[in-house]
Amino acid sequence: MKIPSKRKGPNKTTKKTEPTPLRIFLTLAQINTLTLGGGYVIVPVIGNSFQKQGWIDEEEFYRIFSRAQVFPGPVALSTSFLCSYRIAGVKGAIAAVLGVVLPPFIALILVGGFISLYGDSELFKRFLNGAGAVVPGLVGSMLWKTAKNRKWTARIFIEVGILAILLILFPSAAFFILIGGIVALYLGRLLWKS
Amino acid sequence: MEILKISLAFFKIGIVAFGGGWSVVGLIKQEIVPNWMSADAFSSLIAIAQSTPGPIALNAATLVGWQKAGFLGALAATFSVIAFPLIAMSITLAFSKYIPLKKDLADESLRSGSMAMIIMTLWTLLPQNTLPGPWIFALASFGVTAFTKVNGVWVILGAGAINMLLGVLP
Repeated sequence: MKIPSKRKGPNKTTKKTEPTPLRIFLTLAQINTLTLGGGYVIVPVIGNSFQKQGWIDEEEFYRIFSRAQVFPGPVALSTSFLCSYRIAGVKGAIAAVLGVVLPPFIALILVGGFISLYGDSELFKRFLNGAGAVVPGLVGSMLWKTAKNRKWTARIFIEVGILAILLILFPSAAFFILIGGIVALYLGRLLWKS
Repeated sequence: MEILKISLAFFKIGIVAFGGGWSVVGLIKQEIVPNWMSADAFSSLIAIAQSTPGPIALNAATLVGWQKAGFLGALAATFSVIAFPLIAMSITLAFSKYIPLKKDLADESLRSGSMAMIIMTLWTLLPQNTLPGPWIFALASFGVTAFTKVNGVWVILGAGAINMLLGVLP
């Protein structure tokens, strides 16, 4: 993941407010309602908003973001959680979780209700089929972009290859392959640096 | 019972949900197809999850829970998928002094893991037949999203609209 380079010069229009749990919740809820796209689209938006309100500086935000990626789960959630804990403690962290989780939850309940009502209509089925058909292409382009941004060494190539083959051959053991595999890779890197 | 099983499945998914949202989709499919829905219904569900606000894993959990067990199912599945990440972060914050993790090494290992997961996701989502329609949609969307800056959401909505008008896919 590329981290945007530090902007030079003073921050313009910095309007400082106190990071209360309610403000954190509202800020995150608003961003999570209005931003479409994956975590790497939304995280910079969160960063800008927190910086503009004078809650955190850019360097600190991206330091926390890079730490957040070590944890499983949506990166928007982990970054918001860790940042809000840093600036407003436990209450801030709880507010952050609600701010990230509630808006999509409500949106999805509405969409789910809509599907229950119209899911049987022929036009709507066609829409869903068309929408679903592009998903492999989107995954392919995500793979392409991730692969392009990585520094490939023989070691990384072998690591990714073996894990991917194991996952494809034994999908029902995917959970254990991943946990075992990631721990093994970490220990391997600890023991044999290259 | 259904709710418990779905919650457990999404709790497990939450433990290994590393990397961007797409990497975890293959794993979700492995857990819920064909037990709870068909492969085609799953692809549509993922398209919806990606084109609504919020993280894809979370949205998929909400939708699966909703379809299988109503509002409570949606609530249970959503909180199950974030349960482990929240616990892991809380523990780390509480004991960070005592956990000697070399972050850059962990980072590289996780990147390899999540890349393997994306490959698995791609593999499990490829069209299962040789009809040209699904492949054309998939390849066209790859071309647009890999080489332009168009947001994938517009590709999903556009493809849905095109198929609604033309009905080229069965």
